[in-house]
Amino acid sequence: MFHAPTRRLALLAASLLTLSLAVVPAEAQIAIGDAIPMADVRMKNVNDKDVTLASLAGKKGTVVVFTCNHCPWAKKWQSRVAEIGNAALAAGLGAVAINANDPAVNSEDGFPEMKKRAKELKMKFPYVVDGTSDVARAFGAKVTPEAFVFDASGKLVYHGTVDDSPNDAAAVKSDWLRNAVNAVSEGQAVTEAETKAMGCSIKYRGQKKAS
Amino acid sequence: MCDLTPILRAAARIALVALALAAAGCSRPSNERVAAAAPPDTLALEPATAEQLLARVREPGARATLVNVWATWCGPCREEFPALMALAERRRADGLRVLLVSADFEEQAAEARAFLAQHGAPGPWLLKNQPDMEFINTLDRRWSGALPATLVYDSNGTPVEFWEGGADSARFEAAVAPLLDRSR
Repeated sequence: MFHAPTRRLALLAASLLTLSLAVVPAEAQIAIGDAIPMADVRMKNVNDKDVTLASLAGKKGTVVVFTCNHCPWAKKWQSRVAEIGNAALAAGLGAVAINANDPAVNSEDGFPEMKKRAKELKMKFPYVVDGTSDVARAFGAKVTPEAFVFDASGKLVYHGTVDDSPNDAAAVKSDWLRNAVNAVSEGQAVTEAETKAMGCSIKYRGQKKAS
Repeated sequence: MCDLTPILRAAARIALVALALAAAGCSRPSNERVAAAAPPDTLALEPATAEQLLARVREPGARATLVNVWATWCGPCREEFPALMALAERRRADGLRVLLVSADFEEQAAEARAFLAQHGAPGPWLLKNQPDMEFINTLDRRWSGALPATLVYDSNGTPVEFWEGGADSARFEAAVAPLLDRSR
């Protein structure tokens, strides 16, 4: 039997050894003013054609939303994300939804399910697979949903969540993503450039521990 | 003499969880949800803002306080929960206080209580009651909002560690050991 101090030392040693395996990798997030990262990486759209972020960029700006099928938080907002993306397209921006989740963690995040979801939501913009999760890593995206809006010059002007009321669209007081899209479409500055909400962590491919 | 009380208590909790799992069907995937009906021995979920939570953190009587923000819909939260409960049990006598804050939606409160009861979670059971951004930034501006999130405070309520994402037993132990094992 170990004495208590010995047991604690052993636990501490085990802690140090496993520390690096247990924590989500800290990916650097792009900052306001940064350009779209990995814009030339090909990603498969739900129409089975490959696209790149560069090819989807609009003349007035670009909306990129990391989302997925399974996350309850993403589901709360999915209709609003589709609506805002469609409106952005109509206003001359590019728009894309990206699923970076490993479908081995949640099968609901698989490609066939993405096709169904895009159809159900009447998404007029691409819903693509980040097949290595490297695009999400390059953005520093951590949760679903998480939105990034770039202006006409390709600089990040908004990063954050959709709005302040996931449960009830009628109760929204701060319509952050929609306001950012509207501002960019009119060439105006975004008033609230960074927001946050809770969400599901992105299940990066190749991660040693699910998180 | 060796005090067997904590061991017996832990064994009883493990047995309760095992029984609950057996009742729910052990062949289910680990991340599948528990039954929605809360057992009768559940505690209430107390609404809490970040400020109210931090007031509890600063209350005297603990050598370290670990705050864990979780949700029933969060797979990694559910995965790490047994390790967290084992830590709470193992280190309670050393002065560890664990505050569990559910970020569930209101309609999932019964499911949250059932989950906490099945794991023999120590009270208080708290439910986030504040807009996300205020809650997140008040606790730690580094927090992206991803769940689970864990924060560790010393006996004065000073934050000493934060991380988001799932953790294992060794990670939890490493976070509290320096506070609990330092000479009194």
